[in-house]
Amino acid sequence: MTATAPTRSRAPIYEGTRIPYPIPTVLTTPPSVLATGDVMTVNFGPNHPSTHGVLRLVVDLYGEDVTGLAAVVGYLHTGFEKNMEQKTWWKAIPYAPRMDYVSYQANEYVFVGAVEKLLEIDVPPKAVWMRTLLLELNRIHSHLVWLGTSALELGAISMFWYAFRERETILDLFELVAGYRMHTRYFQVGGLADDVPRGFYPEARSFCDGMPKAIDEYETLLTRNKIWLERTEGLGLLSADDAIALGQSGPVLRASGVDWDTRKVEPYLAYHQVDFRVPVFPEGDVYARYRVHMAEMRESVRIVEQCLERLERMEGEPWIADDRKVVLPPRHELHTSMESLIHHFKIVTEGFRVPEGEVYFAIESPRGELGCYVCSDGGPKPWRVKFRAPSFVALQATATCMTDALIADMIAVVGSLDTVMGEVDR
Amino acid sequence: MPAAVSEWDALPGLVEASERHHETTLVVTLESLVDAATYLRDESDFNFLSDLTAVDYLGWGERAVSGYIGTATGRDLNNPMTQGYQAVPLPKPKRFAVNYHLLSISERPRRVRLQTWVDEGEAVPTVVRVWPTADWHEREQFDLMGIVFDGHPNLVRILLDEDWDGHPLRKDYPIGGEPVRFSGQE
Amino acid sequence: MALDKRLRESGLQSERLLWPTKGPSHYEDEVANLEQDVGLTTLEKAVAWAQTNSMWPDTFGLACCAIEMMSIVSSRYDIARFGMEPFRGSPRQADLLIVSGRVSHKMAAPLRQIYDQMLEPKWVIAMGACASSGGMFNNYAIVQSVDKIVPVDVYVPGCPPRPEQLVEGIIRLHEAVRAGVPPAYDVRSVAS
Repeated sequence: MTATAPTRSRAPIYEGTRIPYPIPTVLTTPPSVLATGDVMTVNFGPNHPSTHGVLRLVVDLYGEDVTGLAAVVGYLHTGFEKNMEQKTWWKAIPYAPRMDYVSYQANEYVFVGAVEKLLEIDVPPKAVWMRTLLLELNRIHSHLVWLGTSALELGAISMFWYAFRERETILDLFELVAGYRMHTRYFQVGGLADDVPRGFYPEARSFCDGMPKAIDEYETLLTRNKIWLERTEGLGLLSADDAIALGQSGPVLRASGVDWDTRKVEPYLAYHQVDFRVPVFPEGDVYARYRVHMAEMRESVRIVEQCLERLERMEGEPWIADDRKVVLPPRHELHTSMESLIHHFKIVTEGFRVPEGEVYFAIESPRGELGCYVCSDGGPKPWRVKFRAPSFVALQATATCMTDALIADMIAVVGSLDTVMGEVDR
Repeated sequence: MPAAVSEWDALPGLVEASERHHETTLVVTLESLVDAATYLRDESDFNFLSDLTAVDYLGWGERAVSGYIGTATGRDLNNPMTQGYQAVPLPKPKRFAVNYHLLSISERPRRVRLQTWVDEGEAVPTVVRVWPTADWHEREQFDLMGIVFDGHPNLVRILLDEDWDGHPLRKDYPIGGEPVRFSGQE
Repeated sequence: MALDKRLRESGLQSERLLWPTKGPSHYEDEVANLEQDVGLTTLEKAVAWAQTNSMWPDTFGLACCAIEMMSIVSSRYDIARFGMEPFRGSPRQADLLIVSGRVSHKMAAPLRQIYDQMLEPKWVIAMGACASSGGMFNNYAIVQSVDKIVPVDVYVPGCPPRPEQLVEGIIRLHEAVRAGVPPAYDVRSVAS
């Protein structure tokens, strides 16, 4: 343990494993350092400007070196899973987006998709393509929030305003489609809650035209910026084996050199019908994660353009499945058909029933693999819902990434893991 | 029809291998859980533990529910159970099921669910030495469901307060909260 | 209505009686009672003007509402025009605590600690449904309204409230301060 700063420039990803022993998620100060009597334990409390929400880090500092680190979570534990067991399948959907509140539609989709998997229901193509489009817009939104806040924490304060300027445009699109900026509740079991409104496609096209230039602006500000490079290159190293052992996924895994994207390997929605690349960088440091995020934003814009091309030809098609046992019948039918009235009544009061079984559905959220395990007893309410939150797992890598690092690096590393405390604590 | 040799035959402690909704579930005995986990990681290349979920089946089957009433295309008169006859789901072997969702990040990507059953009071051997990511997952299931993981290096509550009483996600723990008071009402 | 006119005269332009024929609610009664005591001298008016024009919030973003709170700092819903863009990291330098998000029982103690560390005068805005009443989470984990822990001045409903809604809440708070309404800790204690 030295008291000087470790070398920064292009340190290679390490040999062997750096996962701490015996507890993989806790960095422990070695006894030799403790014996010097100079170790200070500092609490980066739940209320902290730079910890992306209510994360508490208990850090042992020897001068500026971080020798011990333990993360304490749970300050935002909301009991989502227990609440969802009390509500019907339809009413449980609004709980999902409030977990990962930055990429909310990914959460909504993973729950709705898991229920559709159990129901074995077919979703019409328009809904499939629209869902893909919204998930990609949400990916851009999430990366923009990540970029704005992470850069803000490292001192690149003006990035926050630039990133949020584009974010407002995306939220305008969501408002146009779903009626609200965040937590749109637009995904329904079987498709979408309502048709795509007029005027959405031109607005989305103009967004796609303007976004690549905005990403160019962000890259001009940061990518070759000497201060940014000094603060992010060579830190927070995580090798591919360690990343897989620690359950990392998403940008963190791809920045460690592992070419794994659930959208390519196990395509869901329309991802097998769109053309996009998956950025992979081998360095495994904070800078590589930044590069992955920026490249992913560009690829997402391309996906959105391709979805728009398909959707513009689908005017007038159904946006939700036709299965009256699960989906509400169209309102005009209620005046003429007794069965529709009864189905409407049963679905709204008791809720539709999902066959008995258990299913695990995983998608690629902006943070990594977001999974939803749903267990149904055949009734109108879920028996058990569990969300596999990528941020929960990403925080476990903090100890490994913070080996041989300084206190100032901790902010960069925790920021690069892109955690959202809502889904960590659920 | 000759019985096919399944790729899971060599799995230590295998009780049952089933497939539903395009997902394979492998049920193993509690004692051979760590051996099965190590076998899956080393021989079958399941190097990634996606998720660790415990489910509490207390009260399972007490409500007579049937699946989907009717089929996707409407009532099927040739299939009696689809007309809405209530059926009780089959009982489960023990109270808790612990599911390990595994993924193989390799040339041959696939997923599998490893499942084991425990009763109240039984401890599950930890798989932290097999997949280090299980550390917090096991702590979370201990915290919320009360399942003790034998051999875990740091089994303390993670999401709730250290001194919290009870395990909220169990079926016999109430939802909590308060009755909603309306304005004008005292 | 007479009360409506009195509200407007004391500077509370945004407040309206929601149901004029029903009679005043608890809030209007409270404001009416305060009005007798409220009579600002020029010095107090000047102090109130200074307080509202640079009321610095504390970074207390908890959950989804924090993202919308960050939007009001961004360029479209700019709160720098109210003098409020420096979100202080330290509560000792902050005047306003915008509790944005759900407060779990584990977080309740740090919340009260942060509130206590703030120097008076201090104001609290409960942003969002979860901070105002527990929101959609009526369960074991969430404190059903942050006013059980800290006295609240303004409740902003929404899940999450639009940035404009939060700005409206801030403006109403400013108006109340300029009208002479004391901060919540002088008027009410925490709810039971």
